[in-house]
Amino acid sequence: MNNKKGVKGFFKKAYKYRAFLLMLLPAVVYTLVFAYYPMTGVVLAFKKYNFSGGIWGSPWNGIENFKFFFQSGQAGLVTRNTVLYNVAFIIINTVTQIAVAILLTEIRGKHFRKVSQSLMFLPYFISWVIVGVMAFNIFSSDYGFLNRLITALGGEKIAFYTKPKAWPFILVFFNLWKGVGYGSVMYLAAIMGIDTSIYEAAAIDGANVFQRIFKVTIPMIMPTTIILFLLSIGGIFKGNFDMFYNLVGTNGLLYNYTDVIDTLTFRALVTNNNYGMSAAVGLFQSVLCFITVVLVNKLVGRYDKDYTLF
Amino acid sequence: MKKNMKKATALCLSAAMAVGLLTGCGSGDSGSAGGSSTGGSTDGGAVAAGEVDLSEPVELTMYLLGDKSADFDEVYAEINKILAEKLNTTVKVEFLSWGEHDTKYSLLFGGGEDFDLIFTASSWGHYESTVAMGGLYPLSEEFIQAYAPDIWNVVPELAWDQAKIDGTIYMVPNYQNEFGQDVLAVRGDLMEEYGISQITNWDELMEFYKACAEHGQYASQGGPWYQYFQAQGFSVTGGAPQGGELILYKTQDPEDLNFYYLLDWDGFTDYCHQMKELADMGAWSQDVLSSSDERQTGLLTGRAAAMAWNLGSCKTYAKQANTEHPEWNVTLVDPVSAWPKKVNSYINNGMAINAASKNKERAMMVLNEFYTNPTINDMTRFGIEGKHWEAVGDDQYKTLEASSGFGVDSNCNWGWMNNEIKRTEYIEDRTAVDDTYDAMLEAWDNNVKPDHIYDGFNFDRTPVETQASAVEAALGTYYSPLVNGLVDDVDASIEQLRADLESAGIRDVIAEMERQAAEYVASKQ
Repeated sequence: MNNKKGVKGFFKKAYKYRAFLLMLLPAVVYTLVFAYYPMTGVVLAFKKYNFSGGIWGSPWNGIENFKFFFQSGQAGLVTRNTVLYNVAFIIINTVTQIAVAILLTEIRGKHFRKVSQSLMFLPYFISWVIVGVMAFNIFSSDYGFLNRLITALGGEKIAFYTKPKAWPFILVFFNLWKGVGYGSVMYLAAIMGIDTSIYEAAAIDGANVFQRIFKVTIPMIMPTTIILFLLSIGGIFKGNFDMFYNLVGTNGLLYNYTDVIDTLTFRALVTNNNYGMSAAVGLFQSVLCFITVVLVNKLVGRYDKDYTLF
Repeated sequence: MKKNMKKATALCLSAAMAVGLLTGCGSGDSGSAGGSSTGGSTDGGAVAAGEVDLSEPVELTMYLLGDKSADFDEVYAEINKILAEKLNTTVKVEFLSWGEHDTKYSLLFGGGEDFDLIFTASSWGHYESTVAMGGLYPLSEEFIQAYAPDIWNVVPELAWDQAKIDGTIYMVPNYQNEFGQDVLAVRGDLMEEYGISQITNWDELMEFYKACAEHGQYASQGGPWYQYFQAQGFSVTGGAPQGGELILYKTQDPEDLNFYYLLDWDGFTDYCHQMKELADMGAWSQDVLSSSDERQTGLLTGRAAAMAWNLGSCKTYAKQANTEHPEWNVTLVDPVSAWPKKVNSYINNGMAINAASKNKERAMMVLNEFYTNPTINDMTRFGIEGKHWEAVGDDQYKTLEASSGFGVDSNCNWGWMNNEIKRTEYIEDRTAVDDTYDAMLEAWDNNVKPDHIYDGFNFDRTPVETQASAVEAALGTYYSPLVNGLVDDVDASIEQLRADLESAGIRDVIAEMERQAAEYVASKQ
């Protein structure tokens, strides 16, 4: 009886909220088609893929595909690189984005604010391919802008493309440069949403600018910060392939400091033509990401239930 | 309210259509993949007929490598007129550019693309790897004789033998004697300035590199690795890791049936030390590993004093450089002139049929025309007669002014090169480069090296795929830096590379390779 009523209730509710459900529909379809349907492809990770059999008809081969990744001796290195880069990106980008958002709201001149915001936003639209070319023209030892500058000032040329240790800084810089404008928009919106009466109250109590920022603004945007943080933690085992591949390419000299899981997988697919192994590494990555996001979400939940994603 | 409902239905409908479209794509793909597997197995038996129903017009799709020339469509429209008349068939050509063929070639098969013919080549053209994945249609002798009798008559048996993998032919090899040895196109003015009279062996080549570095001129775009091991009589082994470079064999000594794994061979260490010295002196840019320059860019822009490539390409770019900068006096040199020359195996270029093709018989018949019909063969090489070229006698050609729109032999027509009907160039105003080229070619023709049994051997890595893939992945970090002398400490890097390769399983790869080689040798005797 109860069940029947439940079903009836469901349809009634569905009818009542039909407009919202319709609005939701495109997102649901999108996720089903582009996230759930391709997920069936993980079977590839356990198969010896051939063209005539395709994804479903190829023979199984157990965990053979995973062996390649660990046997190559690169698994530890690339996993370490991927995680460290992502940790650096998340911390540096989040801090800078919040700082930029706060500075932008504090700026008085309206035109100056609009112009600087647009300028910071611009790099987001530049493709990594172009960024790669720009980087080569800055760091190349023969024609690079930086080396021209160094030699003009009487210094010795630096061959950046043979100095792996310089690359973590270069990569972090470009990632920041490209992401800061776009990322700060979220925080800007969160700051705009803060009730102005709180600021008025703070001003009456005699708070100065810094107190206003640290006692009001930052605590108020904490929920947004944590949600964005959790979302980026979800991708901590995923390297930004576009960036690494276009900036580093196939320069083996830099791999120890720049090779991430995604670039290794890409090379494995291209040189070995092996779909199964690439799928296996992809699955390894996804499982690690899944575990991290669940764990971190739990931890955040212990601190404050309202901040969790699910 | 009514209006709202209408809107809602419209939204619903469009969403449903979108879903239909997307899922439609998906099921279509899997359908064709399933079809291909059954098609492959049944067609093999039903060949004998030899007669094909040509009443229906068919458009075949053919994939070639490289970039499309300006006048390509015009030339192939003419070719299609002949094909339509003769076989009621036309050919639509798609190109995989040089930059993308490594990544996209296998995706064509994996993605269920509908096409019929494709260019292929041993190792550099993905032949073995595609066959291993079941992408190419097996060509039985009856099938070839039935649908391409003229090809069967022209192509020598040796070529078919080379094309066999596990006893089955999967490609139609080209038929021409192409030398598999690189030469150098070198700036003559710089040689004179540095007092280098000739470059015929490794020591003279090193002298030239050092002279360039001392004068602050880059010599090339990286270390001359191939020249080093070729100078010692070695060759890459087909199918071995790193494009065959990791395991060499002594091609100049038919008695020597050993494989030389680089890290067990003193020559590699010696080479790396020499390269380190050159790189430190500045014989090439520190950026070579990150540069996306083409092989000829250095020479043509004057940034490098030399380029290394095959004889034909070196001649082309030497002439181009001389036209743009007559004072450079670019010439051709052979840095390993002491050895007799290796003729490339016939499967260095070829054509294959997609295992999933719906028109395999027609594809083979069209190939027969490309290969043996002199009119079509000439057109694919030179373009339209009277516009791009003109015939000189029966066996020579002369390029006309418009030929830049359809460069000679630069439209991936290499798969159907046919020595029997191949025209040679008639040059009116010969330059010094042409003379050097002809003299070199003649000397080579008279000095072909004896066959080594491994010349036709191709390693099949399927049994040790995991190890081979791990080896390839481990090579990424140290191999190219070592070959180009860009590491800080040569010995330490070599040791590191050795350790990485050992744990990746190189010994299993070598053992399997030796086993297969022994089997191959036994099967040939």
